[in-house]
Amino acid sequence: MARSNFSVLTILSVTLLLPVLSLSFSPDSPSDRRLLVLLDDLSLKSSLSIFFNSLKSRGFDLDFKLADDPKLALQRYGQYLYDGLILFSPSIERFGGTLDLAAVLDFVDSGHDLLIAADSSASDLIKSVATECGVDFDEDPSALVIDHKSYAVAGTEGDHTLIAADDFIESDVLLGKNKIEAPVLFKGIAHSLNAANTLVLKVLSASPSAYSANPSSKLSSPPSLTGSSISLVSVIQARNNARIMITGSLDMFSNRFFRSSVQKAGSPKKYDKSGNEQFVTELSKWVFHERGHLKAVNLRHNKAGETDEPAMYRIKDDLDFSVEIYEWSGKSWEPYVADDVQVQFYMMSPYVLKTLSNDKKGLYHTSFKVPDVYGVFQFKVEYNRLGYTSLLLSKQIPVRPFRHNEYERFITAAFPYYGASFTMMAGFFIFSFVYLYHK
Amino acid sequence: MARTTSRDAQALFQSLRSAYTATPTSLKIIDLYVVFAVFTAIIQVVYMAIVGSFPFNSFLSGVLSCVGTAVLAVCLRIQVNKENKEFKDLPPERAFADFVLCNLVLHLVIMNFLG
Repeated sequence: MARSNFSVLTILSVTLLLPVLSLSFSPDSPSDRRLLVLLDDLSLKSSLSIFFNSLKSRGFDLDFKLADDPKLALQRYGQYLYDGLILFSPSIERFGGTLDLAAVLDFVDSGHDLLIAADSSASDLIKSVATECGVDFDEDPSALVIDHKSYAVAGTEGDHTLIAADDFIESDVLLGKNKIEAPVLFKGIAHSLNAANTLVLKVLSASPSAYSANPSSKLSSPPSLTGSSISLVSVIQARNNARIMITGSLDMFSNRFFRSSVQKAGSPKKYDKSGNEQFVTELSKWVFHERGHLKAVNLRHNKAGETDEPAMYRIKDDLDFSVEIYEWSGKSWEPYVADDVQVQFYMMSPYVLKTLSNDKKGLYHTSFKVPDVYGVFQFKVEYNRLGYTSLLLSKQIPVRPFRHNEYERFITAAFPYYGASFTMMAGFFIFSFVYLYHK
Repeated sequence: MARTTSRDAQALFQSLRSAYTATPTSLKIIDLYVVFAVFTAIIQVVYMAIVGSFPFNSFLSGVLSCVGTAVLAVCLRIQVNKENKEFKDLPPERAFADFVLCNLVLHLVIMNFLG
């Protein structure tokens, strides 16, 4: 009786837990589901509603909080409550609750995603989060990005701080397959990439004529950040595949910019709608792992003509190698098609390096001959492409030399040598006989 | 000049042959045996130069068995030569026994290395 009660309880708790478990970030469905949005004040919720609604319609569960909410926490009992964090609170000097700089960095270090938008009121806290991610905001608190050549005509008169930027990174995986036609409106502060950080990428770059300065005062010294070294929007993919997006303009996400028409200075073409919505939506798909997330499964190898995976190969064996690679499309795993995936047969250096051919259904395949070297080898697939999560697979496999009885025996070409050796033996016998009895 | 040279050579060969006829028969048998071994070795080297060095271990054992045989036979000849004062205390029976033992070891090694 007690026992059946217990099992009923177990089943009940499992069924109750299942939906919670399936919502969390897992390799089976790498998209984030629960996002924490930190705001300076809740009016942003309505002024940025198009962006938030687009996230909701894609299945995200948004949790809006004020950045100084005293009950803020990213984790409870050692479990993260959220899969992604959106920091739309540029002026916050201190987060509420248990959240601080270290907590945000730990959140990223454990593989979660982060979206940071700053503006001219950016606090030291937000700037230091960005610095830890490899991006340095302009230290002058009054500086804005100014561009007297590629400003947006429809925007403000005079100070040219509303920028129409169209210098995008060329990457389908970051910005989607459809080209962004209209320029993106940007009004905010400049940042530059830390040269020592190899993971950070400039997605939207300022034009060569841009600079970062205070628009209301006269320029007395040369600006510290100028030209296309200014980044307007940057992304980072950490080594644990956590993704971070940093921009110096919170207005970029606003309904006003989404809906506004745009005309770049000096260009006769006027677009009815700015590129902001497309740009932000596509980039947020990337940041929250709806695109560009690869997985490799079913790494297989076998001797040519066999199906079982051997525990060991012999030198000069012919072998078949295959692996399946899929890309997450936001809803399901789709076959990943590329012609540059390579496998290494590796022992301290690659002895064999082969490009895998694929069948357009995600199966990558090749066959090669084991080199004439024995030792402990590895099959290695190391695939790092811009915007995609990196694939690092390795599988150890020993390679043995020929067995004693696997060598060729009685080689025709060696018959004279066999003959000579036996002749010498016979000669020794005859010589001994003749030498002893010759008298 | 040329005539003198050829006459000198002839004289040299004749004196060599007459000296060699005085050699005991047992030593002549050993000499024949050495010549046979060296000749077999040369045939194999020529064969290797034509066919290539593929079963190199077989080639080595074939040639070394000939060379080894020749060397052991020369050693035997030195020890049983009566005119050689160095080994005058060594009985020829003992020398022959050494020769047989060494040959057995040699051919054992050759058989192992051949295939």
